[in-house]
Amino acid sequence: MRKLVFIGMLWITAIAAKAQRPGYALLADVSSFQTQFAAASQKTNTIKSDFVQEKNLSLLAEKIVSKGKFWFKRENAVRMEYTQPFQYLMIINGSNVYIRDSQKENKISTKSNKLFQQINTIMIDCVNGKALQSNDFKVRLFEGKTTFIAELSPVNKNLKTLFSNINMIIEKKDYAVSRIEMHEPSGDNTSIHFVNRQFNIPLADALFAIR
Amino acid sequence: MRCLLYVSCWLVCAACSSSYKKLQRTEADALCVEVFKPLFTRALYNTQVNVTGKHLSGLLLIKTMPDSSIRMVFSSEAGFKFFDFEFYKNEFKVHYIFSQMDKKPVIRTLRKDFELVLMQHLNTPASYTLRSNEHYYNVFQDGKDFYYYITDSGCTNLVRMERGSRRKRVVEATMHAGSDGMPDTIGIKHYNFNFDIGLKRLQDDTEK
Repeated sequence: MRKLVFIGMLWITAIAAKAQRPGYALLADVSSFQTQFAAASQKTNTIKSDFVQEKNLSLLAEKIVSKGKFWFKRENAVRMEYTQPFQYLMIINGSNVYIRDSQKENKISTKSNKLFQQINTIMIDCVNGKALQSNDFKVRLFEGKTTFIAELSPVNKNLKTLFSNINMIIEKKDYAVSRIEMHEPSGDNTSIHFVNRQFNIPLADALFAIR
Repeated sequence: MRCLLYVSCWLVCAACSSSYKKLQRTEADALCVEVFKPLFTRALYNTQVNVTGKHLSGLLLIKTMPDSSIRMVFSSEAGFKFFDFEFYKNEFKVHYIFSQMDKKPVIRTLRKDFELVLMQHLNTPASYTLRSNEHYYNVFQDGKDFYYYITDSGCTNLVRMERGSRRKRVVEATMHAGSDGMPDTIGIKHYNFNFDIGLKRLQDDTEK
């Protein structure tokens, strides 16, 4: 019995440790944050940025780093161009996706694939901030010295097999998303860090055109 | 009508023809191919997969772990993981596979394809060598599967690898070694259905 109590205490300690984030505290005033975040998102019509993507494979103690350029245009157009160490272009425009790798180009309508549609929506919603209002996730907010973390835990069974949670790191100074982390149930994760961000500069529709 | 019959007969004969029938048994040591066994310390490959008219691309990381098992993780360029396989001696483990790929024939095919390239069946007791006019076929039998490593007569150059039955070729693979002993390119082509895999090594930041 004593052993069971000990195991129980260990389990509770583990859960408590997981719930905490070093340097961050659970945000008390959620409504104030959401108002300011929504206002900042409303004002963002375009984003142009460089990005560094890091795929961490925990059990292999390995990471795969790739770099490229990122463009976003309101309401739901994203262009990601990977330039290192490979060439790869992905354009999401509404429900259509265009992919060009080193060998072929491909156009996909996400309407035909529910899972692809969900992933597509997550990508766009994380950039434009709508993910915080999504019914697909339970959201917890944490406040640090210079950033907020919005921790999105999937409620949907399909998404749970893909992600344990998705974190949006939001800058306190301008309420802009500077990093997205996608954590997998296996312990692996992929983070996309946006650098050299420029907001509301004119971006031609041609950048997001899928012909 | 008669012409159609001849064509049909010819097609049937062609389909049944043996890939290895004309080869002669020879006394050469099949295990000479051990020197071509690739040692994947850590290599990242740009990967192109074409299967029955559909195309998929991504990144394949191959790494030898401290316990000498080999891990293969295939993910999309955007980081979405498709599978994570482990090869250890004659054992195979699926650590993860994306639900839409989680089908026994898919896993079995991928396992056998990569085992051919990793040369995982060289320790089988059933090995022998066949020869054609040009090449030596170093054969390793594992159950119903025959793994063929085709070299020049002096076993100084690995021309290609094949898997099949005693009679018929099913898969062909080629590999071009890089300067550090790990292959720069790997190609896998199936002959029984439309399926090929192309790997081209990437030099990424984490290797520097």
